[in-house]
Amino acid sequence: MIAAALPSLSPGVLLAAAVTSAAASLWLLLPRGSENTAARWLGMLLGAAALAGFIATGRRLGSLGEDAVFLTVSLVAVISGAATIVTRSPVYAAIWFAMALTGVAGVLLVLGAQFLGVATIVVYAGAILVMFLFVLMLAQPSGLAPYDRVSSEPLLSAVAGAVLLGLLTLSIGRLSAEPAACCAVPSRTAAVTEDPLRSTPLATDPMAAIDPLADDQIARLGSELFGRHLLSVEVAGLLLLVALIGAVAVVSRGEAALEADRGSLTERTGG
Amino acid sequence: MMVSSCPISPLLAAGSMPLLHNALIVGAILFALGLVGILTRRNLIVMFLSAELMLQGISVSLVAWSRYHGDWGGQVLVIFVLTVAACEAAVALVFVLQAFARTGRLDAAAWQSLRDESLARTVDRELPASDATPASWPRLSPAGVLPTGGGEDDQQRQHI
Repeated sequence: MIAAALPSLSPGVLLAAAVTSAAASLWLLLPRGSENTAARWLGMLLGAAALAGFIATGRRLGSLGEDAVFLTVSLVAVISGAATIVTRSPVYAAIWFAMALTGVAGVLLVLGAQFLGVATIVVYAGAILVMFLFVLMLAQPSGLAPYDRVSSEPLLSAVAGAVLLGLLTLSIGRLSAEPAACCAVPSRTAAVTEDPLRSTPLATDPMAAIDPLADDQIARLGSELFGRHLLSVEVAGLLLLVALIGAVAVVSRGEAALEADRGSLTERTGG
Repeated sequence: MMVSSCPISPLLAAGSMPLLHNALIVGAILFALGLVGILTRRNLIVMFLSAELMLQGISVSLVAWSRYHGDWGGQVLVIFVLTVAACEAAVALVFVLQAFARTGRLDAAAWQSLRDESLARTVDRELPASDATPASWPRLSPAGVLPTGGGEDDQQRQHI
């Protein structure tokens, strides 16, 4: 792709340039109190350049169609993720986050995790995000609050993010192009097959464990989840129950404490 | 074992290095974006959204490794990440609501009396007037009953 057109650029230099321009773009786009249209456009341009750099360091998946699909969903995820953190209005941030979730769900689908792709949409966008929007509705002062228009230390945070991203992408780029020997290690799916909890063994071929085109892919995930990880499922259910009770307890106790605070305050000021 | 007759490139099959590489890059970018957001934004809810963005980056990486190794462990872990994220959102949003009820602001700096003694106090500088409200709202073609407009409508819009 672009890397072929620029043979003189080593991947390291390209990555460094992409990470630096990503940080500069975030710094320009983050809310800093003053609304400068020129800075915003420059930030978007730098962000596009950073994305082009990351795309150039990406590897070809195979056919053009696979590349195009992966590129589309990951661009949706990354651009909406950036918009989530740079937009001023928290309501729009939540909506952009929903958009990022659809992109992430697309990436998960490309990776062959159909159940997780759907669950991300249903659980995150359907339940968690709606909860966010409810809280925003309950707790949003009218108009844009000053703390939404100023961020604390945008330059330092952008640099911190760039350092982390640079280290991560450098180490990811060092992954060798050879298929690792670990793939030959017998998958744990084989162990699950002999699980006495399950009467009908499903998969025995480790390489076919995650075949995105298999008909019974979700059934296999379910048998893994309720076979090897049965105890964890129980613990997760317990955690959900505890969180529910805890949330209700904090609300009721908190309101009582708030009333008591107000009462003592009026007593003090009134007396 | 069922063998799919659908043509799929060998690179998309299990253990594909380019797919793992690209998905890990996407996960790293999402994680870094979430980190920047949680470090720099001051609205408690936007900070929380940034934390969720970091979780999404982690999920993408876990599923990519799961696909590469042909092992369900990563996907199972992501299911538990979803569960814990739901619990965490419920509990933390309750705390955010309580904090809002006490201070009337969703500002993280409203709680700066909890800071270390050696740290300087954050002082907000004066901001120019907000230009958040656009000069004109988009016009839709008229349909149905003409709204009366006025106070309540504008109040609703100010929340966005």
